[in-house]
Amino acid sequence: MSFTVDFYEESRKNVRKTIVLVMVFLAMMIAFGLIIDLIFGILPVFTFVFLAIALVQTLISLSSGKDIVLKSVKAREARTDDPEERQLRNIVDELSLAAGMAKPPEIYVIDDDSVINAFATGRKQENSVVCVTTGLLKSLDREETSGVIGHELSHIVNRDILLMTLISALLGAVVIVQSLAFRALIAHLRFGAISATSRTKRSSKKNDNSALAIIAFLAAVAGLGALFSFIGRLSLLAVSRTREYFADARAVELTRNPLGLSRALRKIVTNSAKLQTANVATAHLFISDPLKRRINNKSSFFASLWSTHPPIAMRISILENRSLKEIEDELSDYI
Amino acid sequence: MVILFIVIGIIVVLALWLIGVYNNLVTLKKRVENAWSQIDVQLKRRHDLIPNLVNSVKGYMKFEQETLDKVIQARAKAVSAQGVGDRIKAEQELGGVLGRLLAIAENYPDLKANANVSQLMEELTATENKISYARQFFNDSATKFNTKIEIFPNNLIVGFFGGKFEQFPLFEVTEAERETPNVDINF
Repeated sequence: MSFTVDFYEESRKNVRKTIVLVMVFLAMMIAFGLIIDLIFGILPVFTFVFLAIALVQTLISLSSGKDIVLKSVKAREARTDDPEERQLRNIVDELSLAAGMAKPPEIYVIDDDSVINAFATGRKQENSVVCVTTGLLKSLDREETSGVIGHELSHIVNRDILLMTLISALLGAVVIVQSLAFRALIAHLRFGAISATSRTKRSSKKNDNSALAIIAFLAAVAGLGALFSFIGRLSLLAVSRTREYFADARAVELTRNPLGLSRALRKIVTNSAKLQTANVATAHLFISDPLKRRINNKSSFFASLWSTHPPIAMRISILENRSLKEIEDELSDYI
Repeated sequence: MVILFIVIGIIVVLALWLIGVYNNLVTLKKRVENAWSQIDVQLKRRHDLIPNLVNSVKGYMKFEQETLDKVIQARAKAVSAQGVGDRIKAEQELGGVLGRLLAIAENYPDLKANANVSQLMEELTATENKISYARQFFNDSATKFNTKIEIFPNNLIVGFFGGKFEQFPLFEVTEAERETPNVDINF
């Protein structure tokens, strides 16, 4: 009856991977600074600036990555006076016992009735959080919710959440730097051009040079930011998909009920809308892609390289022990 | 001289191995004991909830007086039971009749519409689930421990320590739990 995978070993592996991730992030940011310094011949100004940013960012991600994620999806703490949210509390408590956790995680809720989704975050078991949408509470029955919560708790016990939350926070930082530089570049090109044409010929030469330098600088930052966030996203996708299958399996081991989770996944496919507050930096945390990107439902090699989640039809077919073809036909209107 | 070193080396390795196995067994045993205490907490909560629930549903379920009486009796027996073996038995009986009560209650729409009762039902369902999940975790950890102390050569070490490591009994499904509730809705 017991599972062949050792979860204590899995959680140690995730801690090691997190350390590697932080190292890679620091190296990337230093490389980022070095390239800019070398292009503009101002070594070592930006190398240090970016290293400092990276260190601060890592520390912030580790200490409050959970809060950043919860804030960005606009989640609130669960209420105790709402019967559905109290039932959720009960389900989380029950399954925490099944998983042998010392203390059940905190519970947060996203107010959006049209979306059925859930995620877990936090640094370790003791300060972990499970977050669900109000749509999930309204559409899923007790068994289905138990399946979803089992899935999330397994992410917590495995310490997948440490790695995933850190990736979210770090990736979010790169995305922010990149989009700021990009916006500044656009603004500079537009208004810079206007002011340049209206300027008299005498003073323009020196100004043109510095304007050009600023544009080149901003373009370099935006371009490199895009490149690095792209690399970061690729590596993230590779780790994210197998985790989902694994957490599904663990959820079944906890609830001893594969159909609860598979019915929940079916409802997510057929009834759930796109979650407005989710973005590319947080999408991989959720049990199913909150952005409803089509690529996540394809199983070709190219698609599997790009998707954050395994195809949902594949997950259902594994849980229900039926062929992928059958499930795909059944759900063909939705995927 | 060389032989002496080899002998000492072997003894040291053996001793380290013995310590390793012993500590491992103690860790596992503590985990099982902790799992048992979790069940205890939930059983206590179940005993506290039952009188409230029985009082609230009494009015709605006059036709099920027999079931309610059975629940009350089983609770009394479970509260007064002594020793692990007796308690497991009494609690399993109580779980069986409670499960039937919850299943029968499904057939009373008035009952489910009452907010107070439905909240008590939810609490009891949650407690029942917690008990079965806690048992599941207990059974999983106890099986791991029971296997560990029986495989060779661990069984030799266990024999050496006498009564310190003993098999934990497992929870099993009882007749009462297997029985499907027989509900007469044509009253």
